[in-house]
Amino acid sequence: MIGEIAHFLSIASVMILTLVLIINIIFSFSSGHSNQLILSYKLFNQACFLIFLSFGIYIYLAITDDFSISYIANHSNSQLPIFYKITSIWSAHEGSMFLWIVFLTLWSILFVNYLSFEHPLKKGTMLMLTLIILGFLLFLLVTSNPFERILPFGVIEGADINPVLQDPALAIHPPLLYLGYVGFVISFSFITAYLFSGNLSYPWEKDIKNWSFVAWIFLTVGITLGSWWAYYELGWGGYWFWDPVENVALMPWLAATAFMHSLFASSKSNVLKAWTLFLGILIFALSLFGAFIVRSGIIDSVHSFANDPQRGLYLLGFSGFITFISLGIFAYRLPSMQSSKLIVTGSKESFLSMNNILMLTAIFSIFLGVTYPLILESLNGEKVSIGSPYYNTIFSPLILLTSIFIMISVEALWQRGMQAKTLFFAVAPTFLLAALALYLIWYFVEIFSLLAYVGIYSGLLIIISYFLKAALTIKNNSYLNKGSFVAHIGLGLLFFSVSMNSILSYQKNINLFPGDQQFINESIEEFNFLDLQNIKASNHDIVLAKILILQNGNSIYLNPEKRKYFARGQITSETAIHATPLKDTYLTIGDQLENGSWTFSLQINYFVKWIWFSSALMVLGILMTIFKKKIR
Amino acid sequence: MLQNRKKRLQNFFIVLFLSALGASLILFSLNSKLDLFFSPSEMLLAELKPGYRIKLGGMVKDGSIKREGTKVSFIVTDFEAEVSVYFDGVTPDLFKEDSGVVALGYFEDGLFFAEEIFAKHDENYMPPELMNMAEKK
Repeated sequence: MIGEIAHFLSIASVMILTLVLIINIIFSFSSGHSNQLILSYKLFNQACFLIFLSFGIYIYLAITDDFSISYIANHSNSQLPIFYKITSIWSAHEGSMFLWIVFLTLWSILFVNYLSFEHPLKKGTMLMLTLIILGFLLFLLVTSNPFERILPFGVIEGADINPVLQDPALAIHPPLLYLGYVGFVISFSFITAYLFSGNLSYPWEKDIKNWSFVAWIFLTVGITLGSWWAYYELGWGGYWFWDPVENVALMPWLAATAFMHSLFASSKSNVLKAWTLFLGILIFALSLFGAFIVRSGIIDSVHSFANDPQRGLYLLGFSGFITFISLGIFAYRLPSMQSSKLIVTGSKESFLSMNNILMLTAIFSIFLGVTYPLILESLNGEKVSIGSPYYNTIFSPLILLTSIFIMISVEALWQRGMQAKTLFFAVAPTFLLAALALYLIWYFVEIFSLLAYVGIYSGLLIIISYFLKAALTIKNNSYLNKGSFVAHIGLGLLFFSVSMNSILSYQKNINLFPGDQQFINESIEEFNFLDLQNIKASNHDIVLAKILILQNGNSIYLNPEKRKYFARGQITSETAIHATPLKDTYLTIGDQLENGSWTFSLQINYFVKWIWFSSALMVLGILMTIFKKKIR
Repeated sequence: MLQNRKKRLQNFFIVLFLSALGASLILFSLNSKLDLFFSPSEMLLAELKPGYRIKLGGMVKDGSIKREGTKVSFIVTDFEAEVSVYFDGVTPDLFKEDSGVVALGYFEDGLFFAEEIFAKHDENYMPPELMNMAEKK
C-alpha cells in the first residue's frame, strides 16, 4: 500500500508539471500576468516536493525490506546493514534513474527559488527545467518503473546487492557523480532561457558562475571516488581503464572545465561570448549522451545496465529533442551575437581559448573512441575495441600543448597582447628548469618511455611556472589568484603522477604454499605466506591469507581476502594495500591450485596517492575561487 | 573593420590548423591502436601478422583449465573452433569453466598468449558478442 502511495505521488508530480507547461502555453498569448507566474512557481515547487516525498518513501520501503516490490527484491536483502539497504537503491538501472531525477529536481528547485521573482529569466528557466524533469520522470515511470510489484505475492527474501558494490566509496560515488552530471542542467536551462529572451546584453554569466563551479566539484569528486574504488576493489591495480562509461563522464568534465575558463574570459573581457554559451549547452548535452550510453546498453562495458532498446530509443529521442531546442535557438541567435571585440593575440584569453580548442579536441577524440566501434560494427560487422593505447597517443601531445599554453598564459596579461620576445624570455626559465628536472628523473629512474616523459615534462612545466610566478608575486607583493594557483598545481601534479605511475609500477606473480617464503627482488627481500584462516561473516565466508613482507628492512603485514557471498554464491577478492607516501604495496590473492598452494599478485604502485591528492587540490582551488568572491 | 576581418581570418586559420592536427592524430591512432575482436573460428580464418594485438572472446571449455604455479592454460571455444590460451598471473574471480571469457593478447604459432583476462562486474553479464555464440549453441 505504501508503495502505491509513492508511485501515485510520482504520477501526481507528472500531472502537475504538465499543468505548469499547459498554463504557460495558454497564457503566453496574453501578456505575462503576475498571478499566472505565482501559480506556476507554486505548482512547480509542489511537483518537486512530491518527487522528494516519493523518493523518501522509497527509501523507507528499502529499509523495511518490502520485497513485494520487484526492484527492491532483486537488489536488496534482509541481512544487509541498513546503509547498504539504502544504497542498493542506486545499484541498478531503475533506482539509480530515480536518484538521478531526484537530484535533477533538487538542483532545479534550488536554482528557480534562488532567482528573484523579478528576474527576467526566471520563467524561461523554470519552463525548461519543467520540461526536462517531466521527460525523465515519464521515462522512469513508463520504461523503468521502480515501483513495480511482484504480483500476486512478493518473495520472502531479496536477491542481494552485487557484492563488489557493497563498499562505502561505491555507495557514495554514484550520488556525487549524478549531482555533478545533472548540476549542469542549471547552466543549460538558464542559457536556453537567455537565448529565447533575445535580450543579449543581459550579463548572464554572474547568475550561474558559482552554480557551475559547484557542479564541477561534484563531478570531479564523483569521478575520483569511482577511480579510487576501482583501484582498491577490482584488484587490477589500475585506476582508469578508458572504459566507455568512464569516458562519458570525462567528456562533460572536460567541457565543464573549458566552460569555467571561458566563463572567466567572457565576464572579464567580454570576449568568447558565443563560445561560452555553446559550451554551457554542450556540457549537459554530453551528460545526456552519457545517460544514453550507460542506460541503453548499446555499448559493452563493465558499468552498463542490461540491454533494452526501448529505453535507448526513448533516451536518444528525448535527449536529442532537448539538445535540439537549445542548439536551435543558439544557432538562431548566433548572427546577432558577433561581438565587435576580438581576442588580442598574445593576451591571456588568447592562450585560454587555445586550450579551450584543445579540450574540445580531447572531447571529440573521446567521443570518437566511444562511438567508432559502434559505427564500424554497423558498417561492416567488424568488432573492435578501443583501449588505452589510442587515448595515450592522442592525449600525450594534447597534454604537452595544453601545458605550454598554460605556462605562457601564466605570464600573459588580460586584454593586452605581449611581444613574442618578452613572452619567450618569461617562460624560458621554466622550460629549462623542467628539462633539468626531467633529466634528473631519467638519471635516477633509468627507464625511458616517450609518452610518459612527455606527461612528466608537461606536469613539471605547469608546476614550475606557477611556483616561479608565486615566488615573484611574493617578492613584488603583487596579486596572485590563489584559487587558480592551487587548481593548476593540482593539474600539473596529476599529469606528473599519472606518468610516473606508468613507468615505475610493476607486478609480480607468486605461487606459494602456506608457511613458505620467497625472495622477490632487492627491495622486497622476503614474501612470507604465514597462514590461512577461515572466517564467517554476516553474509559471506572469508578465506584470509596472512602475509608478511620484508620491504627495505620494514615488516609489512598484509591480509588479502577471498570472499564467497551466500545469497548469490559470488566470489570476490579483497585487496590488501600498504600505503606509503611514495608507493602502495598492493596484494591480491588468486586461486588455490590442486596441490594446495595459492597464487598471489603483488604490485608495487607508485604515486597513486598523489593522483587522488591532485584531484583534491583541483577541487580545493575551485572552492577558493567560489569563496573568494563571497568574502569580497 | 578591415583590421577585424583580417584578425578573424587569422584566428580561423589557427583553429583550422589545430583541428587538422587533432584530426590527423585521431586518425593515426585509430588506425594503429584498435583491438579487433575475434571468436576462435574467426581468428583462425584471419591472417594475422605476428605481434598484432587482438581480443579473443569465447567460452572456457569445460575441464580445460590447467594451472601450474602462476601460469594458467585453458581452451577457448565458440563451439566451432578451439584455441589454447596461455596466461601468467591471477585470473579474475569470475573466470571459470563453461563461462564467457575475453582475453587480450597475441596469436602466434597456433597458440594465444594473453596479456590480460577480463573480469566482469556481474556473473549474469555476458558481452553481446558471446551472447550470440551461446544462442548458436
